[in-house]
Amino acid sequence: MPAFEPQTRFLLRGSALFIGLLTLWWLVLLAPMLYGLKSAAGAFVLIEDNPSGDWTLRVPLELTLPATRQQPRARQLRSVDFDMSRSDAITFTFSLPVYWALMLAASGARRNLRGLLLGTIVMAAVELVLLLAFAEITARDGAAQLAGTEDAAGRWIRHVGVYLTVSVLPYIAPFAVAFGFHRELRRQVFPFSNTVEVSAPVYHEGRPQRRRAKNQR
Amino acid sequence: MKRGVGRSLGSSRPAATDPRSFRFVLIFAACLVVAFGVLLTPPVQSLDFKFSRTLVQVSQALVLACGGHATRDAAILRAPGGFAVEMRDGCNAVNVTILLWSAVLAFPASLKMKVVGLVAGSAIVQVLNILRFISLFYVGQYSMTWFDFAHAYLWESLLMLDTMVVFWLWVKRVARLGSTTDAGV
Repeated sequence: MPAFEPQTRFLLRGSALFIGLLTLWWLVLLAPMLYGLKSAAGAFVLIEDNPSGDWTLRVPLELTLPATRQQPRARQLRSVDFDMSRSDAITFTFSLPVYWALMLAASGARRNLRGLLLGTIVMAAVELVLLLAFAEITARDGAAQLAGTEDAAGRWIRHVGVYLTVSVLPYIAPFAVAFGFHRELRRQVFPFSNTVEVSAPVYHEGRPQRRRAKNQR
Repeated sequence: MKRGVGRSLGSSRPAATDPRSFRFVLIFAACLVVAFGVLLTPPVQSLDFKFSRTLVQVSQALVLACGGHATRDAAILRAPGGFAVEMRDGCNAVNVTILLWSAVLAFPASLKMKVVGLVAGSAIVQVLNILRFISLFYVGQYSMTWFDFAHAYLWESLLMLDTMVVFWLWVKRVARLGSTTDAGV
Protein backbone atom coordinates (compact mmCIF):
# COMPACT_ATOMS: atom_id res chain seq x y z
CA MET A 1 0.00 0.00 0.00
CA PRO A 2 1.49 3.40 -0.91
CA ALA A 3 2.48 5.70 1.96
CA PHE A 4 -0.01 8.56 2.05
CA GLU A 5 0.19 11.82 3.90
CA PRO A 6 -1.76 11.72 7.21
CA GLN A 7 -4.37 14.08 5.73
CA THR A 8 -4.94 11.90 2.64
CA ARG A 9 -5.07 8.74 4.76
CA PHE A 10 -7.58 10.36 7.09
CA LEU A 11 -9.69 11.60 4.18
CA LEU A 12 -9.79 8.20 2.46
CA ARG A 13 -10.48 6.21 5.62
CA GLY A 14 -12.94 8.83 6.83
CA SER A 15 -14.89 8.87 3.56
CA ALA A 16 -15.14 5.06 3.50
CA LEU A 17 -16.20 4.95 7.16
CA PHE A 18 -18.70 7.80 6.68
CA ILE A 19 -20.34 5.92 3.81
CA GLY A 20 -20.34 2.59 5.69
CA LEU A 21 -21.44 3.79 9.11
CA LEU A 22 -24.02 6.28 7.85
CA THR A 23 -25.55 3.57 5.62
CA LEU A 24 -25.64 1.21 8.62
CA TRP A 25 -27.28 3.96 10.67
CA TRP A 26 -29.84 4.75 7.95
CA LEU A 27 -30.81 1.11 7.38
CA VAL A 28 -30.48 -0.43 10.85
CA LEU A 29 -29.74 1.96 13.71
CA LEU A 30 -32.08 4.84 12.94
CA ALA A 31 -35.28 3.35 14.41
CA PRO A 32 -33.72 2.26 17.75
CA MET A 33 -31.85 5.57 18.03
CA LEU A 34 -35.03 7.57 17.47
CA TYR A 35 -36.74 5.44 20.10
CA GLY A 36 -33.88 6.05 22.53
CA LEU A 37 -33.87 9.78 21.85
CA LYS A 38 -37.63 9.98 22.33
CA SER A 39 -37.42 8.06 25.60
CA ALA A 40 -34.60 10.25 26.93
CA ALA A 41 -36.29 13.50 25.87
CA GLY A 42 -39.55 12.19 27.36
CA ALA A 43 -38.10 12.95 30.80
CA PHE A 44 -38.28 16.67 29.96
CA VAL A 45 -41.05 17.12 27.38
CA LEU A 46 -44.07 15.05 26.40
CA ILE A 47 -43.58 13.43 22.96
CA GLU A 48 -46.25 11.52 21.05
CA ASP A 49 -46.05 9.81 17.68
CA ASN A 50 -48.33 10.98 14.86
CA PRO A 51 -49.78 8.50 12.36
CA SER A 52 -47.59 10.21 9.75
CA GLY A 53 -44.45 9.35 11.74
CA ASP A 54 -43.89 12.93 12.91
CA TRP A 55 -43.65 13.82 16.60
CA THR A 56 -45.99 16.05 18.61
CA LEU A 57 -44.12 17.76 21.42
CA ARG A 58 -45.68 19.38 24.49
CA VAL A 59 -43.22 21.81 26.05
CA PRO A 60 -44.03 23.16 29.54
CA LEU A 61 -44.03 26.97 29.38
CA GLU A 62 -45.64 29.30 31.94
CA LEU A 63 -46.94 32.38 30.14
CA THR A 64 -49.81 34.85 30.46
CA LEU A 65 -51.41 35.87 27.17
CA PRO A 66 -52.63 39.47 27.35
CA ALA A 67 -56.25 40.36 26.58
CA THR A 68 -57.01 41.14 22.94
CA ARG A 69 -60.10 42.15 20.97
CA GLN A 70 -60.80 38.53 20.07
CA GLN A 71 -59.99 37.29 23.61
CA PRO A 72 -61.09 40.01 26.09
CA ARG A 73 -59.70 38.05 29.05
CA ALA A 74 -56.05 37.38 29.74
CA ARG A 75 -55.20 33.67 29.46
CA GLN A 76 -52.71 31.56 31.34
CA LEU A 77 -50.57 29.26 29.21
CA ARG A 78 -48.97 26.17 30.80
CA SER A 79 -47.54 24.42 27.77
CA VAL A 80 -47.08 24.76 24.00
CA ASP A 81 -47.77 21.89 21.57
CA PHE A 82 -46.20 21.68 18.13
CA ASP A 83 -45.42 19.09 15.49
CA MET A 84 -41.89 18.16 14.58
CA SER A 85 -41.22 16.42 11.29
CA ARG A 86 -39.50 13.02 11.37
CA SER A 87 -36.66 14.42 9.25
CA ASP A 88 -36.00 17.08 11.90
CA ALA A 89 -35.97 14.40 14.61
CA ILE A 90 -33.55 12.25 12.56
CA THR A 91 -31.08 15.16 12.55
CA PHE A 92 -30.62 14.65 16.30
CA THR A 93 -29.42 11.06 15.88
CA PHE A 94 -26.98 11.16 12.97
CA SER A 95 -24.08 12.80 14.86
CA LEU A 96 -23.24 9.48 16.55
CA PRO A 97 -22.24 7.50 13.43
CA VAL A 98 -20.31 10.56 12.22
CA TYR A 99 -18.45 10.66 15.53
CA TRP A 100 -17.62 6.93 15.33
CA ALA A 101 -16.37 7.34 11.77
CA LEU A 102 -14.10 10.23 12.77
CA MET A 103 -12.64 8.37 15.75
CA LEU A 104 -12.00 5.23 13.70
CA ALA A 105 -10.56 7.16 10.74
CA ALA A 106 -7.95 8.89 12.88
CA SER A 107 -4.69 7.08 13.50
CA GLY A 108 -4.39 5.03 16.70
CA ALA A 109 -8.05 4.02 16.84
CA ARG A 110 -7.28 1.00 19.05
CA ARG A 111 -5.53 3.17 21.61
CA ASN A 112 -8.57 5.45 21.75
CA LEU A 113 -11.31 2.92 22.46
CA ARG A 114 -11.94 4.51 25.87
CA GLY A 115 -12.33 7.90 24.18
CA LEU A 116 -14.67 6.32 21.65
CA LEU A 117 -16.92 5.00 24.43
CA LEU A 118 -16.81 8.16 26.57
CA GLY A 119 -17.31 10.34 23.49
CA THR A 120 -20.34 8.25 22.50
CA ILE A 121 -21.95 9.08 25.85
CA VAL A 122 -21.07 12.77 25.48
CA MET A 123 -22.31 12.80 21.88
CA ALA A 124 -25.63 11.22 22.89
CA ALA A 125 -26.00 13.84 25.64
CA VAL A 126 -25.23 16.65 23.17
CA GLU A 127 -27.89 15.32 20.76
CA LEU A 128 -30.44 15.27 23.58
CA VAL A 129 -29.53 18.83 24.64
CA LEU A 130 -29.83 20.03 21.03
CA LEU A 131 -33.28 18.43 20.69
CA LEU A 132 -34.43 20.04 23.95
CA ALA A 133 -32.98 23.42 22.88
CA PHE A 134 -34.83 23.12 19.55
CA ALA A 135 -38.07 22.29 21.40
CA GLU A 136 -37.66 25.19 23.83
CA ILE A 137 -36.89 27.77 21.10
CA THR A 138 -39.76 26.55 18.90
CA ALA A 139 -42.17 26.63 21.86
CA ARG A 140 -41.13 30.18 22.75
CA ASP A 141 -41.55 31.19 19.11
CA GLY A 142 -45.07 29.75 19.14
CA ALA A 143 -45.86 31.47 22.45
CA ALA A 144 -44.64 34.82 21.10
CA GLN A 145 -46.92 34.41 18.07
CA LEU A 146 -49.89 33.54 20.31
CA ALA A 147 -49.20 36.48 22.60
CA GLY A 148 -48.78 38.82 19.64
CA THR A 149 -45.58 40.14 21.22
CA GLU A 150 -43.10 39.02 18.61
CA ASP A 151 -40.72 41.76 17.54
CA ALA A 152 -38.38 41.54 14.56
CA ALA A 153 -35.24 41.21 16.70
CA GLY A 154 -36.74 38.48 18.86
CA ARG A 155 -37.97 36.58 15.83
CA TRP A 156 -34.53 36.84 14.19
CA ILE A 157 -32.77 35.60 17.35
CA ARG A 158 -35.11 32.59 17.57
CA HIS A 159 -34.62 31.92 13.85
CA VAL A 160 -30.83 31.93 14.32
CA GLY A 161 -31.24 29.67 17.36
CA VAL A 162 -33.32 27.10 15.47
CA TYR A 163 -30.96 27.26 12.48
CA LEU A 164 -27.93 26.63 14.68
CA THR A 165 -29.55 23.74 16.58
CA VAL A 166 -30.87 21.96 13.46
CA SER A 167 -28.56 22.89 10.58
CA VAL A 168 -25.18 23.68 12.13
CA LEU A 169 -24.45 22.19 15.56
CA PRO A 170 -25.45 18.55 14.78
CA TYR A 171 -22.86 18.66 11.98
CA ILE A 172 -20.10 20.36 14.01
CA ALA A 173 -20.62 18.53 17.30
CA PRO A 174 -19.10 15.16 16.23
CA PHE A 175 -15.93 16.95 15.05
CA ALA A 176 -15.68 18.97 18.27
CA VAL A 177 -16.19 15.88 20.46
CA ALA A 178 -13.71 13.88 18.36
CA PHE A 179 -11.08 16.61 18.83
CA GLY A 180 -11.86 16.56 22.53
CA PHE A 181 -11.39 12.81 22.96
CA HIS A 182 -8.74 11.98 20.32
CA ARG A 183 -5.55 13.63 21.48
CA GLU A 184 -3.47 12.52 18.48
CA LEU A 185 -5.98 13.90 16.00
CA ARG A 186 -6.11 17.18 17.91
CA ARG A 187 -2.32 17.43 17.99
CA GLN A 188 -2.07 16.71 14.28
CA VAL A 189 -4.67 19.25 13.18
CA PHE A 190 -3.86 21.92 15.77
CA PRO A 191 -0.08 21.89 16.31
CA PHE A 192 -0.37 24.44 19.10
CA SER A 193 -2.61 22.14 21.16
CA ASN A 194 0.40 20.01 22.15
CA THR A 195 0.79 20.23 25.90
CA VAL A 196 3.65 22.41 27.07
CA GLU A 197 5.77 21.11 29.89
CA VAL A 198 6.05 23.80 32.54
CA SER A 199 9.72 24.01 33.32
CA ALA A 200 11.15 25.82 36.26
CA PRO A 201 14.66 27.31 36.27
CA VAL A 202 17.47 24.83 36.73
CA TYR A 203 19.66 25.52 39.73
CA HIS A 204 23.27 24.45 39.76
CA GLU A 205 25.52 23.97 42.71
CA GLY A 206 29.27 24.39 42.81
CA ARG A 207 31.40 26.08 40.21
CA PRO A 208 28.82 28.03 38.23
CA GLN A 209 27.65 29.74 41.43
CA ARG A 210 31.22 30.54 42.43
CA ARG A 211 31.87 31.99 39.00
CA ARG A 212 28.78 34.17 39.33
CA ALA A 213 29.97 35.29 42.78
CA LYS A 214 33.36 36.18 41.30
CA ASN A 215 31.73 38.22 38.58
CA GLN A 216 29.60 40.10 41.10
CA ARG A 217 32.67 41.04 43.00
CA MET B 1 28.99 15.70 47.79
CA LYS B 2 29.11 15.95 44.03
CA ARG B 3 29.54 19.43 42.76
CA GLY B 4 28.30 21.00 39.54
CA VAL B 5 25.44 18.55 38.99
CA GLY B 6 22.25 20.18 37.67
CA ARG B 7 18.99 19.54 39.52
CA SER B 8 15.82 20.23 37.57
CA LEU B 9 12.86 21.32 39.65
CA GLY B 10 10.43 21.29 36.77
CA SER B 11 10.32 17.70 35.60
CA SER B 12 7.40 16.56 37.75
CA ARG B 13 5.19 19.63 37.34
CA PRO B 14 1.88 19.26 35.50
CA ALA B 15 1.58 20.03 31.79
CA ALA B 16 -0.30 23.14 30.69
CA THR B 17 -2.27 23.63 27.47
CA ASP B 18 -1.19 26.44 25.17
CA PRO B 19 -3.49 29.47 25.65
CA ARG B 20 -3.77 29.68 21.85
CA SER B 21 -6.07 26.62 22.01
CA PHE B 22 -8.57 28.51 24.18
CA ARG B 23 -8.22 31.61 22.03
CA PHE B 24 -8.91 29.51 18.93
CA VAL B 25 -12.09 28.03 20.43
CA LEU B 26 -13.36 31.43 21.57
CA ILE B 27 -12.67 33.23 18.28
CA PHE B 28 -14.03 30.29 16.26
CA ALA B 29 -17.30 30.24 18.24
CA ALA B 30 -17.68 34.04 18.06
CA CYS B 31 -17.05 34.10 14.27
CA LEU B 32 -19.54 31.28 13.82
CA VAL B 33 -22.37 32.92 15.73
CA VAL B 34 -21.80 36.33 14.11
CA ALA B 35 -21.52 34.87 10.58
CA PHE B 36 -24.68 32.76 10.87
CA GLY B 37 -26.50 35.69 12.44
CA VAL B 38 -25.52 37.88 9.49
CA LEU B 39 -26.34 35.11 6.99
CA LEU B 40 -29.92 34.95 8.25
CA THR B 41 -30.63 38.68 7.82
CA PRO B 42 -32.97 39.50 4.89
CA PRO B 43 -30.41 41.41 2.73
CA VAL B 44 -27.83 38.62 2.99
CA GLN B 45 -30.52 35.98 2.36
CA SER B 46 -31.30 37.71 -0.92
CA LEU B 47 -27.59 37.59 -1.90
CA ASP B 48 -27.51 33.97 -0.78
CA PHE B 49 -30.35 33.14 -3.17
CA LYS B 50 -28.55 34.88 -6.07
CA PHE B 51 -25.43 32.89 -5.24
CA SER B 52 -27.43 29.63 -5.28
CA ARG B 53 -28.87 30.57 -8.67
CA THR B 54 -25.36 31.10 -10.05
CA LEU B 55 -24.22 27.72 -8.73
CA VAL B 56 -27.21 26.00 -10.35
CA GLN B 57 -26.33 27.77 -13.61
CA VAL B 58 -22.76 26.41 -13.39
CA SER B 59 -24.09 22.93 -12.52
CA GLN B 60 -26.44 22.96 -15.52
CA ALA B 61 -23.60 24.03 -17.81
CA LEU B 62 -21.47 21.14 -16.53
CA VAL B 63 -24.29 18.60 -16.96
CA LEU B 64 -24.85 19.80 -20.55
CA ALA B 65 -21.12 19.84 -21.29
CA CYS B 66 -20.86 16.20 -20.17
CA GLY B 67 -23.70 15.16 -22.47
CA GLY B 68 -26.51 15.16 -19.88
CA HIS B 69 -29.89 16.82 -20.06
CA ALA B 70 -31.16 19.45 -17.63
CA THR B 71 -33.18 22.64 -17.69
CA ARG B 72 -32.97 25.44 -15.18
CA ASP B 73 -35.54 27.66 -13.55
CA ALA B 74 -33.90 30.15 -11.13
CA ALA B 75 -32.28 27.92 -8.47
CA ILE B 76 -34.09 24.75 -9.67
CA LEU B 77 -32.46 22.14 -11.89
CA ARG B 78 -34.94 19.92 -13.77
CA ALA B 79 -34.42 16.51 -15.36
CA PRO B 80 -36.35 15.55 -18.52
CA GLY B 81 -38.17 12.84 -16.47
CA GLY B 82 -39.80 15.44 -14.22
CA PHE B 83 -37.47 15.26 -11.22
CA ALA B 84 -36.32 18.67 -10.00
CA VAL B 85 -33.88 19.72 -7.31
CA GLU B 86 -33.71 23.19 -5.81
CA MET B 87 -30.56 24.65 -4.29
CA ARG B 88 -31.80 26.28 -1.13
CA ASP B 89 -30.17 27.89 1.85
CA GLY B 90 -27.62 25.44 3.23
CA CYS B 91 -27.29 23.49 -0.03
CA ASN B 92 -24.93 26.08 -1.49
CA ALA B 93 -22.12 25.15 0.96
CA VAL B 94 -22.29 28.56 2.60
CA ASN B 95 -22.57 26.79 5.97
CA VAL B 96 -19.34 24.83 5.56
CA THR B 97 -17.64 27.88 4.04
CA ILE B 98 -18.55 29.82 7.19
CA LEU B 99 -17.07 27.02 9.29
CA LEU B 100 -13.87 27.08 7.26
CA TRP B 101 -13.63 30.87 7.45
CA SER B 102 -14.20 30.83 11.21
CA ALA B 103 -11.46 28.22 11.67
CA VAL B 104 -8.99 30.06 9.40
CA LEU B 105 -9.69 33.41 11.09
CA ALA B 106 -9.34 31.87 14.56
CA PHE B 107 -6.05 30.15 13.77
CA PRO B 108 -2.91 32.13 14.61
CA ALA B 109 -1.44 32.77 11.16
CA SER B 110 -0.17 35.73 9.16
CA LEU B 111 -2.70 37.87 7.27
CA LYS B 112 -1.34 36.69 3.92
CA MET B 113 -1.78 33.04 4.83
CA LYS B 114 -5.29 33.72 6.11
CA VAL B 115 -6.27 35.32 2.80
CA VAL B 116 -4.79 32.30 0.97
CA GLY B 117 -6.74 29.96 3.26
CA LEU B 118 -10.02 31.82 2.84
CA VAL B 119 -9.83 32.11 -0.96
CA ALA B 120 -8.35 28.71 -1.84
CA GLY B 121 -10.40 26.89 0.80
CA SER B 122 -13.67 28.46 -0.34
CA ALA B 123 -12.89 27.60 -3.97
CA ILE B 124 -12.20 23.93 -3.12
CA VAL B 125 -15.38 23.69 -1.01
CA GLN B 126 -17.48 25.21 -3.80
CA VAL B 127 -16.06 22.87 -6.44
CA LEU B 128 -16.87 19.89 -4.21
CA ASN B 129 -20.34 21.26 -3.57
CA ILE B 130 -21.09 21.52 -7.29
CA LEU B 131 -20.05 17.87 -7.67
CA ARG B 132 -22.34 17.07 -4.74
CA PHE B 133 -25.26 18.93 -6.30
CA ILE B 134 -24.86 17.21 -9.67
CA SER B 135 -24.57 13.78 -8.03
CA LEU B 136 -27.75 14.47 -6.03
CA PHE B 137 -29.49 15.49 -9.26
CA TYR B 138 -28.85 11.98 -10.61
CA VAL B 139 -29.44 10.11 -7.31
CA GLY B 140 -32.85 11.82 -7.02
CA GLN B 141 -33.85 10.49 -10.44
CA TYR B 142 -33.04 6.99 -9.24
CA SER B 143 -34.53 6.93 -5.69
CA MET B 144 -36.06 9.61 -3.46
CA THR B 145 -35.23 7.63 -0.29
CA TRP B 146 -31.54 7.54 -1.16
CA PHE B 147 -31.73 11.16 -2.27
CA ASP B 148 -32.96 12.15 1.22
CA PHE B 149 -30.17 10.14 2.83
CA ALA B 150 -27.43 11.41 0.54
CA HIS B 151 -28.68 14.99 0.55
CA ALA B 152 -29.22 15.63 4.25
CA TYR B 153 -26.70 13.32 5.87
CA LEU B 154 -24.07 11.59 3.75
CA TRP B 155 -22.96 14.37 1.43
CA GLU B 156 -23.30 16.99 4.15
CA SER B 157 -21.01 14.98 6.44
CA LEU B 158 -18.54 14.24 3.65
CA LEU B 159 -18.39 17.94 2.83
CA MET B 160 -17.64 18.66 6.49
CA LEU B 161 -14.88 16.04 6.42
CA ASP B 162 -13.42 17.57 3.24
CA THR B 163 -13.56 21.02 4.80
CA MET B 164 -11.72 19.75 7.87
CA VAL B 165 -9.02 18.20 5.68
CA VAL B 166 -8.72 21.43 3.66
CA PHE B 167 -8.20 23.31 6.93
CA TRP B 168 -5.68 20.69 8.11
CA LEU B 169 -3.67 21.01 4.89
CA TRP B 170 -3.70 24.79 5.24
CA VAL B 171 -2.49 24.52 8.86
CA LYS B 172 0.31 22.23 7.69
CA ARG B 173 1.34 24.80 5.09
CA VAL B 174 1.21 27.61 7.65
CA ALA B 175 3.41 25.58 10.02
CA ARG B 176 5.84 24.69 7.22
CA LEU B 177 6.23 28.31 6.17
CA GLY B 178 6.56 29.34 9.81
CA SER B 179 3.96 32.07 9.45
CA THR B 180 2.07 31.44 12.67
CA THR B 181 1.40 34.35 14.98
CA ASP B 182 0.31 34.53 18.60
CA ALA B 183 -3.29 35.55 18.00
CA GLY B 184 -6.12 34.77 15.64
CA VAL B 185 -8.14 37.28 13.52
